[in-house]
Amino acid sequence: MAARLRTALLHPGVPRELHARTRVGWWAWALQRVTGVVLVAYLLVHICVISTSILGVATFDSTLSFVQHPIFEALNIGLIAIVLYHTFNGVRVVLFDVGIGLRRQAAGFWACVALTALGVVASFILSVPLIFM
Amino acid sequence: MDRRSFQYSAYPGPSAPDARPARGEHGFWIWFLQRISGVLLLFFVLAHGAITHFVPIADVRAGLQEDPVTHEVVERRLAQGAMLAFDFALLGLALYHGLNGIRGILMEWPFTARHKTAVTAVLHSVGLGAFVLGAAGLLAFVL
Repeated sequence: MAARLRTALLHPGVPRELHARTRVGWWAWALQRVTGVVLVAYLLVHICVISTSILGVATFDSTLSFVQHPIFEALNIGLIAIVLYHTFNGVRVVLFDVGIGLRRQAAGFWACVALTALGVVASFILSVPLIFM
Repeated sequence: MDRRSFQYSAYPGPSAPDARPARGEHGFWIWFLQRISGVLLLFFVLAHGAITHFVPIADVRAGLQEDPVTHEVVERRLAQGAMLAFDFALLGLALYHGLNGIRGILMEWPFTARHKTAVTAVLHSVGLGAFVLGAAGLLAFVL
């Protein structure tokens, strides 16, 4: 069931024999897709929120003070995690294109995860005054 | 369907080089521009996060302002022409890269050629609409 759902969502219309064989590489690729789709959804909402400036200073400030509620500031850490993973894995993939890191692609994935975790911890520390005050 | 269908994906492991379109082949420029916009976004997005999120947090900490983002703060920032140009470039690049990525995923569905054209047209409209909305939002700060 889970495998069929995964195939329908991530490999639409692709024959089974063409799916990636390496497990770690598959997860790196699947996460890149999922984070990419989430980021596009976020981007469209973000553009709508910032464009409330068209409706005037008061509308912009009330909208922005709503999205700067501590709950949203905490969710922001999740967004930062998504952005960082997509960025680091994107670098990993571009390096594949110039022939770097293909043989050690699994180690590259774990490096992306580690760098993302590091960035998340750093941004959490920086965001503490917004989340807890 | 053959391996070519993966040309827009960041496909993992040893299958990636086979899936990459060569220069002159169909899909090369779309694939190449996705990489170029991605590399540019690496710098733009990280700088955007620092400028619009972490610098204002430092200002809140220093007691210079109450909320990180207010109309006044954004207006002061966008009064600098370079920041306005930066935000316009980021808006265009992010929309192009994001919607082209969505298109790459959607093109793996077994659509007919007509439906592929329709999907692409819808994505172009979404991109154009979002760019116009974002541009109007940015210009509202400086006009």
